[in-house]
Amino acid sequence: MPRLSGIAIHGYGVYIPMMRIKASEISRMWGGSDSELPVIEKSVNNLDEDTVTMAIEAASYAIARAGISPQKIGAVYVGSESHPYAVKPTGTIVAEAIGVNSRLLSADLEFACKAGTEAMQLVMGLVASGIIEFGLAIGADTAQGRPGDALEYTAAAGGAAFTIGRTSDSVVAEIEFASSYVSDTPDFWRRSYERYPMHASRFTGAPAYFHHIVSSVKMVLDEGYSLNDFDYAVFHQPNTKFPFAVAKMLGIPPKKVEPGVVCNLVGNTYAASSMLGVAKVLDQAKPGERILMASYGSGAGSDVFVIRAGDGISEKRAKAPLVTDFIERKRYVDYSLYLRARNKIRG
Amino acid sequence: MAWRHKRFRYRLVVWRCLNCGAFHHYETSICRRCRSNRIAEELLPSRAKLVTFTAVKNPPAGFESQAPYVVGIVEFEDGTRLLAGITDCDYEELKPSMELERVVRKLTQDGESGLIIYGYKFRPPIKKH
Repeated sequence: MPRLSGIAIHGYGVYIPMMRIKASEISRMWGGSDSELPVIEKSVNNLDEDTVTMAIEAASYAIARAGISPQKIGAVYVGSESHPYAVKPTGTIVAEAIGVNSRLLSADLEFACKAGTEAMQLVMGLVASGIIEFGLAIGADTAQGRPGDALEYTAAAGGAAFTIGRTSDSVVAEIEFASSYVSDTPDFWRRSYERYPMHASRFTGAPAYFHHIVSSVKMVLDEGYSLNDFDYAVFHQPNTKFPFAVAKMLGIPPKKVEPGVVCNLVGNTYAASSMLGVAKVLDQAKPGERILMASYGSGAGSDVFVIRAGDGISEKRAKAPLVTDFIERKRYVDYSLYLRARNKIRG
Repeated sequence: MAWRHKRFRYRLVVWRCLNCGAFHHYETSICRRCRSNRIAEELLPSRAKLVTFTAVKNPPAGFESQAPYVVGIVEFEDGTRLLAGITDCDYEELKPSMELERVVRKLTQDGESGLIIYGYKFRPPIKKH
């Protein structure tokens, strides 16, 4: 795919619910070992929060940072695997709540944990073709983990949104390159009418997460970029180990991965995960610094982006809460309150 | 039907009587209080102060799973008052005149198969670095 020119992130915004459960509390419940927990703690959405409400809040910050009227938004795409309705779009509720004009393109996307970055790709295409001036790409999830399953330690809640438009002076960042690598790889799935997903345990590693991210990053290198061109690397974060492991395979030092890691304190926010990581990097990056971003969605695929921080980053960063503001806003719940908040107690 | 009041519920768009100051949460051409036809659309601010509050322990139908929950009266800078759900905060932490900000939350749902109702609530503002 060709290098892009003139596509920029004008604003970004995130939302993380305030409840947390420690992984050690989940392991206490199920008699697991505390020695190798995949995260320290994870976010838990409350009864009044879902993918719609988190998408609305993240999107409102993305618009505030962009400093544009919501009326200029021409597309709202929401990627998630926990849309509240099976049929009825999340995007229209989000658009209405943030005051976007009804002359709008909108759809809900599904591609496991890369549904949010798929939204970015679609909005970028619409902006590049001149069909819209600005668009919102949102990834948000209230991830489901079956009680007692390995996923329960990490399946978390959060949202992230990017306002994407043509480049102008003082943007948050420019998107220099984007591509995607997909294949039919059945590592994780959820059938219709099922409440919880199934996964293929260890199969989710080598042939799934690692193969797809390594392959998508290779497309960036084939384009002429060198790993030295990047100051930061953000990968999808299903647990704390995987992003560092894929970085090691690629020869990227851990210090370039650490700034974008949110999973250890938030858990796996699925469609929001890599976008949340990029937002955390944008919270600290300096103009000119480059970010390598690679999402991963089971089933499977990886979207890859080359993002370069722009001159407007510091000014726009200050217009909305930072990722760390949400990480530090927390209240711990025990396993029973967690069950109640996630509506897992059924009479 | 909640959907007909979506602009009010999602964004606090109100229809204000320019004669007596009453506001309506639905579009109208005549003021319900003074019958004036001088009505203007207005967006209420996103921040307000808490006036008073209470914990609901015996909830009405549709809100059972959320009890106990807090409802309060918030006041905007211009003196407009509104009844609102208060979220992300324990009852013990609330104090009259504390600042709150508007968010959109899931209010209730019509059973397992009916519509989900979204609308405004207020919560303590996110502390910024």
